Parts: sequence; structure tokens; C-alpha cells
Amino acid sequence: MSENKEKEMNILGVEELIGEVHEKEIQVIAFRLGDELVSVPIEQVVEITSNRDITPVPKAPSYVIGVMNLRGKIVPVVNLKEHLGIPSEVPEDIYQNNRIVILDTPKGEVGVIVDEIVGSIKFPETEILPEPIGTIGIDVKFITGVVQLDGDLLIILNIESIFNKEE
Amino acid sequence: MKVNIPDELREILDEFLVEAAEILENLDQDLVDLENNPEDKELLNKIFRGMHTLKGGAGFLNLTPIVEIAHRIEDIFNKLRNDELKLTPDIMDVILEGIDQLKISLEMLRDNFELPDMEDIEPLLKKLDAVLKGETPEGGSSETSSSSDTSDSEDIEFIDGISDALKELIKKYPGKDLAQILEEIILLPPDQRPMEVIPEIEKLIEEGKDVKDLIKKKEKKEEQKSQETQQQQQQSQPQQPAQTQPVSPQQAPKPSTPTAAKKTSTATKKQEKKTSETIRVDVERVENLMNLVGEIVLDRNRILRVTADVEKECRSESVEKLVEAVTSLDRTVSDLQVAVMKLRMQPIKKIFSKFPRLVRDLARKLNKKVQLIIEGEDTELDRSILDKLEDPLIHLVRNALDHGIEPPEERIAKGKPEVGTVRLFAYHEGDHIIVGIQDDGRGIDPEKVKQKAIEKGLITPEQAAQMSDKEAYELIFMPGFSTAEKVSDVSGRGVGMDVVASTIHALRGSIEIESEPGKGTTILLKLPLTVAIIRTLMIGVNSQVYAVPLHSVVEVVRYNENLVKDVGSFRSFMLREEVLPLFSLNELLELPDKNDKHFVVIVKVGEKYIAVSIEDLLGEEEIVIKSLGELLADIQGIAGATIAGDGRVVLILDLNSLLSDYKVKLLGTGAKK
Repeated sequence: MSENKEKEMNILGVEELIGEVHEKEIQVIAFRLGDELVSVPIEQVVEITSNRDITPVPKAPSYVIGVMNLRGKIVPVVNLKEHLGIPSEVPEDIYQNNRIVILDTPKGEVGVIVDEIVGSIKFPETEILPEPIGTIGIDVKFITGVVQLDGDLLIILNIESIFNKEE
Repeated sequence: MKVNIPDELREILDEFLVEAAEILENLDQDLVDLENNPEDKELLNKIFRGMHTLKGGAGFLNLTPIVEIAHRIEDIFNKLRNDELKLTPDIMDVILEGIDQLKISLEMLRDNFELPDMEDIEPLLKKLDAVLKGETPEGGSSETSSSSDTSDSEDIEFIDGISDALKELIKKYPGKDLAQILEEIILLPPDQRPMEVIPEIEKLIEEGKDVKDLIKKKEKKEEQKSQETQQQQQQSQPQQPAQTQPVSPQQAPKPSTPTAAKKTSTATKKQEKKTSETIRVDVERVENLMNLVGEIVLDRNRILRVTADVEKECRSESVEKLVEAVTSLDRTVSDLQVAVMKLRMQPIKKIFSKFPRLVRDLARKLNKKVQLIIEGEDTELDRSILDKLEDPLIHLVRNALDHGIEPPEERIAKGKPEVGTVRLFAYHEGDHIIVGIQDDGRGIDPEKVKQKAIEKGLITPEQAAQMSDKEAYELIFMPGFSTAEKVSDVSGRGVGMDVVASTIHALRGSIEIESEPGKGTTILLKLPLTVAIIRTLMIGVNSQVYAVPLHSVVEVVRYNENLVKDVGSFRSFMLREEVLPLFSLNELLELPDKNDKHFVVIVKVGEKYIAVSIEDLLGEEEIVIKSLGELLADIQGIAGATIAGDGRVVLILDLNSLLSDYKVKLLGTGAKK
């Protein structure tokens, strides 16, 4: 997706219009899942919210915590850690006390529970490195790449493959 | 053939596609009507105009294959309405083939921006041209040639090996094929019936021979013609076995298969089609409006509650004014709600109109005689229900024709009218719509159904013995059940009755079967008026609130430990004289159970009553149903969600599907006692 977008922008010459920077800048929203610092491209983030009432959904897959009301829309809330295979324990008060990032996914808007919102980070696209196999606790197919920040490894999640249409 | 539509014409193309689809949809109904009233000038004019519009639109967009076909059909109808041509079933077959090709072309265009290649439609165009020139596809549909046929019949030369009696018959019934001659023989009084010929004819039919194979060809020209005819027949009805040759011209005025819908057509004719002014609106916009109104309704409920509280707490002039304004708002919002709901309502005609054609084609294919009666086609239903209703209805009508209605001979033998009747009807009943299909065919034999279910391992013989007829009919809806002895081209298409049942249940409707062996079957679908707003019972388990649609609830009673009995592997609840299987909602939802029950909800699942114990009862509420989204679309037992007055999400339970897992096991509860 983002690759296509980039191509499009190149064709349209938008890059030149932005300024002298020939490298495309990527902006992500970063948050913590356990020990991992992960992020999602800002275009895919709909909203960041907290302390929502979540209604549990019986018989749903275990990674689904429940559903919430986002301005009249029903949005599922997912335990991203479990979905990604990061060991996690769901605190009992998760249904009232939570931090949620609402993402735009192939399966519609989905809220993901995060441990801590870090903020928005910008970096040139060229700094994205291929995913180092085995060094992090997340399946590589869910990752677009990593960026080396001072002292921390920022993981960029691939929302398309996490919320895959076919699954 | 790829079609290149410049961007600036895209919008026009979209409009054309919508309009063309509408024209063709109406056409099916009109054409079948026309076959029964070939002289109806108004109908002829209407079809002509439709084709003209289609041709014009396609011409503007340079869609040559569509133009070519539409142009010829338009010309044929021009001749028909000017009495230069007479409509016969064979001409109709060619026209229908043309219409089908138009539909296919439009679909290709819509889905892939493609059109069929001109070579591919060349045979069809030739056929249409032939019709136009008056060379009707069947050797002699025009009166002149048919009369010459009769005069010829005196000196027909037969090939060797044909009995004299059969020769006699062929001369006696000129223009009829063997199957039709056989039919004529059967119709004769028994003492005149030449019994010895019947096996001979049957043998010939089995060998794939027909009258023309038995006659020595006289002229080369005629031979060509008959070959051409044969080809065309084969093309137009590829799946038709040899013995079901299309009705020959002499028979045309005599009502055959498509006698059908005669009543329908007269009935529909009475209701002159209103031409009211309309605008086309994207469904998504209506949907969006509906959602917003749903939100307003919820907000109104909240405001009403708060206002009532305010009124209790303090009394002042401004509070009174507030109450007044809120009361007025309340009324307006209710009206708004109804108005928007009406926006989504469409007459069931939209899908009923497809059936005359379907029944006609099917009847011809199955070699059965069927008349279709449509009633209540103006009954309005929510659009989303309407869309989902089409496939189940098609399936049920197919079943009625395939398994219900007997072949003409069998019907005559049983003393029934030769032409079977299928009635398709719709009407209001309270806040529900009933859509039904009735046939006067074989009916369903409950014992056969049970037998089949035992064979398929769906039930045990002990269970079968305990089952009422109604319960036996319910078995038809179980996955893995199909009464058809052989999978036919018509019914056995993979979608079984279980799919029909689950579709109807998903619409929060129910199905009822009434059948009398030998007399026929009626299937009633009970559907809600709208899908968007439903009345629910708010209940609580495990300190969560759930909404249960009221349509599935029979009654609610207080929980009483003394009325609970352990029977077999299930618990049961004594309600008055009856023993009902009892479940706790917690176990159905796979939630921890605190055993702190206060109420029991009695629900009807199929023909059975089932008791479900719950913790709290919070009252009745009208709610706007919302989908849980794609991620959670497939969770069994949860029909959707709504947003409660306090902004929290409340899940809507579908008890029917929650219990369906237990349904099979439940059949055994009686037997295990």
C-alpha cells in the first residue's frame, strides 16, 4: 500500500513540491507492547483513545477483548500482544481502564490495546531496515521493517498482514 | 473484447448500466405475460420502447454487440406490434435467448469492462434476422407453411420398420413430435387407445429418434431447413433431451407449458403500473441516513429520560417549556424514523417479477406443466431483507417444481388437473410479512423424511418414532439432508434447505412447512418488516447486559429450583404440564456460571420450546441493530450489537443459533427418558 502510494506521489511529482528533501519521510505513531517499541504508519491510525467501556464478546476468538462504541459505530478491540504472539496477561480492569489505538485495517476499524503511547516519530524511509529474524518476539510476517533509534529498536507493524482479509 | 470507455463517459456508462438492468428486469415479466396475451398492444409497445432506449444508450457509448442485438429485437417487436409478425413460442425462445445474451453482455461490461466478440454473437444475430425475415426458426410457424405441412401429410414417405399404426398416428397428428403423440394417445379414451404403439414410440424416444427421423426426406431444401431448425433448437436448449422437442407451431395457439401465469398476467395487468416521479439514490446514502436517524432515536430516548428526571427534581416555567419541546421532538423523531424506514421499503415485486420466467423455463426443462400465480406483489419489505430473500425463494420454487409438481401423466393418473399450480404470495400479518410458496404437487411424506434422516445418520430410529409430522418436516432444514433421490440439474445445486433456513433465521424470520401427501406443500416464511430496528428484551448474566430479540421469546417465567429436574444428560424445566429442556445462558455463551438464576426465558426453536435461565431481567427496549464489523462477523449466536442509553455496547443474542448446536442432541431427549 504505502509503496504504491509512494510511486503515485513520485509520478505526480509531489515529492518535488514538498521541498528539497529527496528522501520520503515516514511518520508513525509509536507505542509499547510489553518490552517492544512498535509503531504503525500515521495514515493507518484513526484515533487514540483511553479508558473506554469495552463490552466483552462471548465465543469470540481469544485475542478479541470486546467491542466499544466509537461515535455510534461498533469497533472491535483486540489484544494485539496476544495476536502477535507477545506473552501477555490481560488485567481485570481492562474493560474500563485502557489505552486504545484505533486502526484502519482491511477488516474495518479495529481498536488495539497498547501499554503506553510513545508518540509520533518521523524518519526518512531509507532508514527502514529489513526485519531481523529471531531478534524480536514478533513473527516477521507481521512486520514491515525496523528502524534503529538511539538505544531502541522501533518495529513498524504491517497492519495489512495482521488483519488479513483471508484469515 | 475489451471496451474502452473514456473517463468522462464513465458516469454515463454507470447510468446506462443501471437503466439497462432495470429495463431487462421488467422485460422478463413482460415477455412471459406477452406469451399468454400475444395480442396485447400496450405490452408490445412497452417492450419495443424498452429495447429502443437500450439500443440508444448502447449506441451512444459505442457498445456495438449490444446495439446489434437490441436493434434486432426492437425490429422484431416493431413487426409484432404492427401485426406483420405473429408471436410463437419458438420466436419467443429466440427473443429470450437474445435477452439473455444482453444480460450476459451487460454483466461482462459492468464487471470487467468487456463485451462478447461479434463472432460469438453471430449465430444469435442470424437467428434474430431469420425471425425478422419471417423465416421462423421452427420449420413452419407462419400459417402458410403450417397449412402446407398438413396437405403434405397425406403423402409422407416413411422409412422402413415403422408399424402402420404409428404411421397413422404421425399422419393424424402432423407436426407433433413423438413425445407429444404419446401424450395425445394417453389422452384418448381407453377403448380407442392403440396400446400396441406405445412401447414402439417409447423405444424410439429412448433411441433419441423423432418423427422427422422416420420420414424420408423429400426435398433438399426442406432437409436443410429442418436441419437448421434442429440446430437452432439445440442451441437454444442445449440441455434438453431429444424427447422434449419444443412445442411445434401447430400447437402454439393451444396452451402448453407457458399457460402458466395466465392468471398472473391478468392480475398484474389490472394494477396499472404507476409512473411516479423518482430519483435514484445510492443505497449507501440511504444506509447512512438510516444510521444517523438511529442515533437520533437513541439520543431522543436519552433526552426523554433526562427530561423526566429534571421534571421530578425541579418545577419551573422553563422546565415546562423544555418538556413541551421534548414532547414535540419525540413526535417528529418518530415520524422521521418511519419516513426513513419507508425509504428502504421496496415492493416484493422486485423479486417476484423474476419468477414467471424462471417457472416457464424450468417447466419446459422438466417437461412439466405448471401455472404460476403471484399474489400480493405490492407488499413492501425492507430492501436488505428483499436482497437476501431472492436466493431462498428461487430455491424453494425450484424445489416445488422439481420435487413437488408431478409430471403431467402422473397428475392425470392421480385425477389432478394436468397443469400444476404454484402459488407465490406475500402479505402483512401484524408487524411481520409472510411470504409463501404453495404447490399442489406430491406433498412431503413425513415417514419418507424420517427414513431419509435415519439413513443419513441424522436421527436414530427411536427418535423418529417419537417425532410428530411437523418435527419431521423440520428435519429437511438440517444440514446434510436432501430428499431428492437423484441430484438433478434443477434442485441439486449445493444450496440446500439448510442454507435457506439459516438465511431466513439470519433475517430474524422463521419457516413453517405444511404439507399433505398427495395434495401439496405450503412453505411460509415469516419475516420482520425491517431489519434496522427491533424490539428486544434486555437481560443480564454475569453482570453483563444482553438484548434478546422479542420475536424469539415465547414467555418469561420466574425461576424456581423445584421445577428443575435432571432428565438424561440434560436438565429440564417443568412449565405447567410440559417438560422443557433447560439451559443456562451462561453455558450457552461459555461464560462462568454463578448459579444465581432468577428468570427463565422460554424460546421457540423450530417446533420445540426450550427454557433458558438468566440472572436478571431489565425490561423491554426498542433498539437499532448494528453490525459487529468484519472481524467479528462469524461469531455464532451473536446477531449484532446496539448502543445503550449510557453509550455502552450491548450485544444482541441470537438464541436460535446459540441453541442450534444442541438441536440435534435435543431430538434425543424424549427418547432417552
